[in-house]
Amino acid sequence: MNIAVLIKMVPDTESRLEIVDGKVKEDAFKYMVNPYDEFAVEQAVQFKESVGGKVTLVCLFSDNPGIDTDLRKMMAIGADEAVVLRQEGYRGDKPSTNSKILAEAIKELNADLVIGGVQGIDYYQGATGPMVAHHLNIPHISGVTKLELNGEKITAKRQIEGGLQIIESTLPVLVTAQKDMTKVRFPALKDIMMSKRKSFENRSVSASEENDVETIECSLPPARDGGLIIDGESPEEKVDKLLEKLKMEAKVL
Amino acid sequence: MNPFHDYYGIPWYAILGLWSLIAVGSHIYQVGFIVKLIRLGKNDDRFNSWKQRSKEFLTDWLGQRKVVQDKLAGYAHALIFWGFLMLVSDVIDLGTGGLLAKFLEKIYLANIWNLIVDLGYTMAGVGILISLYRRLIVRPEKLKGTSMEGILILFAILGIVLTAFIVEAGYMIGENVHYNNWEPIGVLFAKQMESINTESLGTIIDASYWIHMILIGLFLIEIPQTKHSHLIGTIPNVMFQDHEPMGTMLPMQTDDNNIAVKTDDLDFDNLTLGVNKFTDFTWRQLSDGWACTACARCQDVCPAYNSGKTLNPMQIIMDIKNYGKEHGTSLLSGNVPEEDIVQRFTPDAIWACTTCYACVEACPVHIEHVPKLTDARRHLVMEASEFPEELQNLFNNLERNSNPWGLGAHTRAHWAEGLDIKIGEPAEYLFYVGCAGSFDDRNKKVSIATAKLLKEAGVDFTILGEMEACNGDPARRAGNEFLFQMMAEMNVETMNSLGTLKVITACPHCFHTIGKEYEKYGGKYEVYHHSQILNDLRQKEKLIFKDFEDKVTFHDPCYLGRIGGETEAPRGALGNDIIEMERHGTNSFCCGGGGAQIWMEEDADKRVNEIRAREASKTGADTVAVGCPFCMTMMSDGLKSIGDGKSVKDISEILLENLEVKT
Repeated sequence: MNIAVLIKMVPDTESRLEIVDGKVKEDAFKYMVNPYDEFAVEQAVQFKESVGGKVTLVCLFSDNPGIDTDLRKMMAIGADEAVVLRQEGYRGDKPSTNSKILAEAIKELNADLVIGGVQGIDYYQGATGPMVAHHLNIPHISGVTKLELNGEKITAKRQIEGGLQIIESTLPVLVTAQKDMTKVRFPALKDIMMSKRKSFENRSVSASEENDVETIECSLPPARDGGLIIDGESPEEKVDKLLEKLKMEAKVL
Repeated sequence: MNPFHDYYGIPWYAILGLWSLIAVGSHIYQVGFIVKLIRLGKNDDRFNSWKQRSKEFLTDWLGQRKVVQDKLAGYAHALIFWGFLMLVSDVIDLGTGGLLAKFLEKIYLANIWNLIVDLGYTMAGVGILISLYRRLIVRPEKLKGTSMEGILILFAILGIVLTAFIVEAGYMIGENVHYNNWEPIGVLFAKQMESINTESLGTIIDASYWIHMILIGLFLIEIPQTKHSHLIGTIPNVMFQDHEPMGTMLPMQTDDNNIAVKTDDLDFDNLTLGVNKFTDFTWRQLSDGWACTACARCQDVCPAYNSGKTLNPMQIIMDIKNYGKEHGTSLLSGNVPEEDIVQRFTPDAIWACTTCYACVEACPVHIEHVPKLTDARRHLVMEASEFPEELQNLFNNLERNSNPWGLGAHTRAHWAEGLDIKIGEPAEYLFYVGCAGSFDDRNKKVSIATAKLLKEAGVDFTILGEMEACNGDPARRAGNEFLFQMMAEMNVETMNSLGTLKVITACPHCFHTIGKEYEKYGGKYEVYHHSQILNDLRQKEKLIFKDFEDKVTFHDPCYLGRIGGETEAPRGALGNDIIEMERHGTNSFCCGGGGAQIWMEEDADKRVNEIRAREASKTGADTVAVGCPFCMTMMSDGLKSIGDGKSVKDISEILLENLEVKT
């Protein structure tokens, strides 16, 4: 079974976030593998382990070199090969353009299953997966919480508002993983070291001229005021003071 | 009258010869088996510094330095030990029908030898009686539930002593009586036995002689099989005790100069990470098993054991020996038993250790408990990838943001804003703030207090700001040696490029790791705990303090006091006017946070910090002074959960509050 896994590199959530002229300043970022994509890698490796085959990671990213360590960890989980599409001026908020480039690369892999995270934790658009399916002309199931493989068929469970939806599809299909689809293993050090020996291809792709959406402006949420700790000798006194403040200052009572 | 005659026509020496062959042969065979097992261990070159080792051997083994720290059991043991050393030559004399005494007579040493032996038996006898009193009448809690072995052996060696006196007395009476006053206790026995008729006397002496010899033979056979293997096992253990500073750990791989091989150059194809097989241990780790006497002092001081967790450090040492015994034949033929070391120790025990080293400190025979557990952790993390889930976050956070909480690495120096502190500039001292002091709100106040005091005293210092990273200790004690080494290599590079080699830190884990471990990774620094600098500034009157209004007690952090060897400076800095907890200084009890425990879940009914909080509570002090950010957290939480409203403050905070303002 050939499985392609879509990998997006996203800024570490604790990275310094600065906005200059309405645009996110990306050069100060540290990048990591999108956590939803880690579920996809783990699920792909589990399928490979049960039925055999190959897992190939496909990642589109800028020519920023500092992602090898993070991708290698995914290889250590059990992926066999990685194709990194390097694009000058890459941006994570252009799903239309990005999905087309990714689909081109995946076509060559003859994948029976394409799997990725439900969304990137950078812009939360949740669009790239379905769009790749569209370009590959295969069906897609998004936001899957449990995935099972039965021969040539795949059964996906989706947690939806107030219920559970079960979807079945023949292969090939594209699936996007919701949180908790599976538990991601922590690779042993030896596996991380051995993953250095796996095929890791960097391929440059040209900047796209396609029409796509444009981010006009980004801004940070307003800073929060500090909290207030009420001092008092006894709980009763503290409650009295709190009630006073709720009445007089917050005027909610 | 002596027992050296024929028995039913067989000469006494023939009977004794046969018995000796059996007993000594069995003893040698068994000891040989153990030596072969220990030699399966990996190399650990401790065959150096002979002068120091001889001295240590004399004080620790012959002098029983650590044994007598437990007064009752310790002195009883020392009496038996010294007694047996003095009397042991008597076995040769009795075994050869008095040839040794005859020889000594020729060189005029017989009298003094007789006195020494007589005294030896007496001392051993007294020691045995004290021990029996302790085991049968005092019955300390820790002895309850232990086997009868100890008591049986005590009676057996009491038998050896008593029969020796009877045989000794027998020489003096019989056909012609001549009291040898060089054997005073023998004379006492002789006077008691005088009135017995010759025939019965003969029987009593013969019986005593053979009981004596049979007991010694049985003892020889028994020694290698039980905890009495310590009679032999402690010799290499004490002789080859660890000369590295306490708490230091071995790198994954070292070169010929004992320097760690860089992470990029590690030979993973031929590297065993951590320990899961008997043969993964070093020989010295294995020899611990046969040196243990099951005195349970490690158990008494272990925070994990005392809070009800699975770990008992003594059991870990027993496990090594029992595993070796049970799988010995298989191990010696080169097989790997199905049961591995982690299974034997059990993962729960392995993960319960706080690496506080109280067990190692308490052990009279230099057993190294902690490295066995941290080595097993290395295996579980780096080879097996089986460890508590919380640690995954810890490792990821350290990797990505160089701190255990995973807070943005760029916010590391936010605490210092507005304090006018040098960042990354050359200075006399580098203030290595550490993660807790940089990211944890409570401990940021400690960093601020320390910085303010240093500035007040005119100390020239810088911090590293965003360039600083965790020293790696949490990852290391949790078994992720590789991550530790990556962080160590990175920090050494940063610090060496700054060129400031004198370091101040308020975190004992930074104090230990940077000061004592980084040398193997290319960084040699002079590292001071802030209490050392503050004490110095106080003594030199560069900082003047008022008398404290609050009564203060001080909780020694493990990595500063016991492991770091610094118990004076914090007290000096606090003005030496503190109320001591019962366990303090190098005997301090862990807060429960070390060994990466603070990042792991702890069962609510098994909290170490509550035990320590109760001890602090008992002092009646108003404030508990600490010198470690993790003790700060653990002690504050502990006091809260036992409902004690004492405040917990770092030494620097107390000092800043009481700083005499210059006029």
